[in-house]
Amino acid sequence: MVFSSFSFIFVFLPALLAVYFIVPARLRELRNIILLGFSIFFYACGGPKFLSLIVVSVLINYSFALPAAPGGSPPRRKAALVIAVIANLALLGFYKYAVFTVENINRLGAGFPVPEITLPIGISFFTFQGMSYLIDVYRGDAPAERNPLRVALYIFLFPQLVAGPIVRYTTIADEIHIREESTEDFASGSVRFCFGLAKKMLVANVLGELADAVFSTTPADLTSSLAWLGALAYTGQIYFDFSAYSDMAIGLGKIFGFHFLENFNYPYISKSITEFWRRWHISLSTWFRDYLYIPLGGNRCKISRQIFNILVVWTLTGLWHGAAWNFIVWGVYFAVLLLGERFVWGRILDRVPKFISHIYTMLLVVLSWVLFRSQTIGYALGMIKAMFGAGFADGRTVYYLKEYWWVLAAGTAAALPVKTLLERVTENNGDKHGFLPFIGVWGPKLAALVLLVLSYIRLVGSSFNPFIYFRF
Amino acid sequence: MRTAANRFFCICFVLFLFSVVAVTLLYSDGNVSYYENRTLASAPTLSGESLLSGEYFDGWESYLCDHAAGRTTLLRLKTRVELDLLFLPVVNDILVCPDVLLGFNSYGVWDTSYLSESADELADGLLSLQEDMKGYLCYVGLPHQYSYYSSKYPDYLENREWLKEAARSAVSSALSERGIAFVDMALIFDSLGRPDEMYSATDHHYSYLGAIETYRAVLERINNDTGLGLTILSNDDYSFIRLPNPFMGSRNRRLYGLRDMGERAYIAILNEPIPFERYNDGAKAEPVVFSLPQTETETITYNIYMGGDFTETRICTNREELPNALIFGDSFTNAAETLLYTAFNETRSLDLRYYKEKTLREYILEWQPDVVICIRDDTTYFEYTGNGYLG
Repeated sequence: MVFSSFSFIFVFLPALLAVYFIVPARLRELRNIILLGFSIFFYACGGPKFLSLIVVSVLINYSFALPAAPGGSPPRRKAALVIAVIANLALLGFYKYAVFTVENINRLGAGFPVPEITLPIGISFFTFQGMSYLIDVYRGDAPAERNPLRVALYIFLFPQLVAGPIVRYTTIADEIHIREESTEDFASGSVRFCFGLAKKMLVANVLGELADAVFSTTPADLTSSLAWLGALAYTGQIYFDFSAYSDMAIGLGKIFGFHFLENFNYPYISKSITEFWRRWHISLSTWFRDYLYIPLGGNRCKISRQIFNILVVWTLTGLWHGAAWNFIVWGVYFAVLLLGERFVWGRILDRVPKFISHIYTMLLVVLSWVLFRSQTIGYALGMIKAMFGAGFADGRTVYYLKEYWWVLAAGTAAALPVKTLLERVTENNGDKHGFLPFIGVWGPKLAALVLLVLSYIRLVGSSFNPFIYFRF
Repeated sequence: MRTAANRFFCICFVLFLFSVVAVTLLYSDGNVSYYENRTLASAPTLSGESLLSGEYFDGWESYLCDHAAGRTTLLRLKTRVELDLLFLPVVNDILVCPDVLLGFNSYGVWDTSYLSESADELADGLLSLQEDMKGYLCYVGLPHQYSYYSSKYPDYLENREWLKEAARSAVSSALSERGIAFVDMALIFDSLGRPDEMYSATDHHYSYLGAIETYRAVLERINNDTGLGLTILSNDDYSFIRLPNPFMGSRNRRLYGLRDMGERAYIAILNEPIPFERYNDGAKAEPVVFSLPQTETETITYNIYMGGDFTETRICTNREELPNALIFGDSFTNAAETLLYTAFNETRSLDLRYYKEKTLREYILEWQPDVVICIRDDTTYFEYTGNGYLG
């Protein structure tokens, strides 16, 4: 089930709201059980056959976190952690990387049968969340949970279950026990949900149509204008798709009293690749930073070791996104750029005019998305060649511009921090009862209602509704 | 103020969620979407396999989206916004030109060398049929509406003229090599200067004028080739009537009826009617060739010609001195049939998409019509199933 589906918005969500809020807030455990039950159903809708897998993941993390918690003997704690991490990675490795591994071994001459494995929805997210719980408990950052249902709720919690953000256990550990649902949180959560839904339905999906049309064309048939249009459309699509899902997840969490951390912070206004990764998929980059990069030594070591650490982290970041060579190359591409900014041209970048550093960043980001979106590295190279090749204009580009001008314009505006600017204008003018504060309070809510209706219109008339991040 | 706004929003949000699901479940618009011309999704059936694969819940999603509260109204509103606010050139896959609605063709150019082989296959099928039957076979090729108006496509869109021309030329050569009569209406319309009134502006068929021109061209060719001396009606033999009813062309239908371009349908009423009996699928039906509405305000479609598609239609004029004719092909046959029957003793038409009792060959060999007319548009020359199945 996806958030931008009729069944979720108009069946699952109203049913959950009714059942959850009819139970008095003092019966916290019962509310948790309701939330867990609905979350399990939410996951099962996508195909209950993988339900057992996530249950196994919960059981592993629950049972190994107890001996891994501070208080026991250090070797026993470490052994518990290592076994559980290996088990988590083994599950992820089998379901996500077995086919890729066998195919590559076969390319070297072996003749192993290629297994037929379906990727379980959200496996990358719930595996990383499970490991986050284990490691936080091992480090003593969070207590080991003795009630398995609470661990299950943390991993199963439907807003972040299948496409993130990767919620760290420490972020919501307290709220699983004690939280307070309020009208203010409900309102701001549902406003956030409506904005996320609109980003997905009205912008990401439409840009996706354009990107798909271009990326389904042989690179040899692409003019440079069309190749750029396709690359920019995908640049917009992936941001609005993924950030929309995060908005909806954060909003839904808030409705039920959970406060997840932000996952995006206007990444396309960045003036360096380093800044871009501080603003893009924050939960993933901080996960890798805290659980891999820093334990490897981070940047408090020799330069050669730093280079090694960054290469390892970004190769794995690429691999996390998908079992294909283009994702690995994509990760290495960012590793090289980040190393370049740290050791080679970072200082120059600080001194050039902002618009130049912004163009530099966006150019490299757009090229990275070409690599990311292409089915093969060969296609990506062909596309990049077309982007910088001859034959600028063609009828197809004209048609797509005429057909999609409105979403390109809306997307450009929505990728900029217009909302932050408006909030600043309406909140900080000193007059608490004037027109601007009125707009500041009512504007987002009325806009959210309008966007909800527009999204509903788009939803009922559209079958084009895949979430990109589901395959991770 | 903030608390009041929060409460107001929460109420509106929750009310919207609950009212949509309530209206969807309690109120049904039926099982057919008229504007989309399709049956709406039905509720899925539960099985162990469908539950495990997730198909069961996907089925509910399709069902709920198709039956969502106010769906038709909202889709019409969306179409209106795309047409009149965003001014999109293509809406619901329809290219909206100032004076005509056309189909959108996806981009791409491919090698057309396969067409001669396809045309040979078609011609061989027709030749085999012609050799087995006793009568005369005539193949009529018509431009599809979007082919007819190919010059109206803006430069930046694909009109597929290169493909249509290559297909037409391949069919013409293949049929000519095998001595099969081919009435190429594209050439005839070209000789007339491709006047706009020959084809519908809002439907994918020709207009009634185009049908009349086709009727004449077909009978002239039959008379030339066979000497049967079939009577060809002239303009003096009928009254040409413009129906006042709003006409819902198939392309306008996809736009929720928002671009009718003022188009109206025409019919021809014979000055001296020819009495006939009509049978639809074996059952005696009203002896009419136009399915006219009860009122002048009722919306009509191309289905007024012969009342739409029937599996088998028989029109018996009981003039045994005249030959019998079998017509098969696309829905373009319908408008032409309203005149063609006047030249024959008995005229039958088959819709091979639905007629399963016999094969076309068996039907022809059993009935032995004097004339067999196949009418195809240039998008379906090489379709060998349904109305293109010659076996």
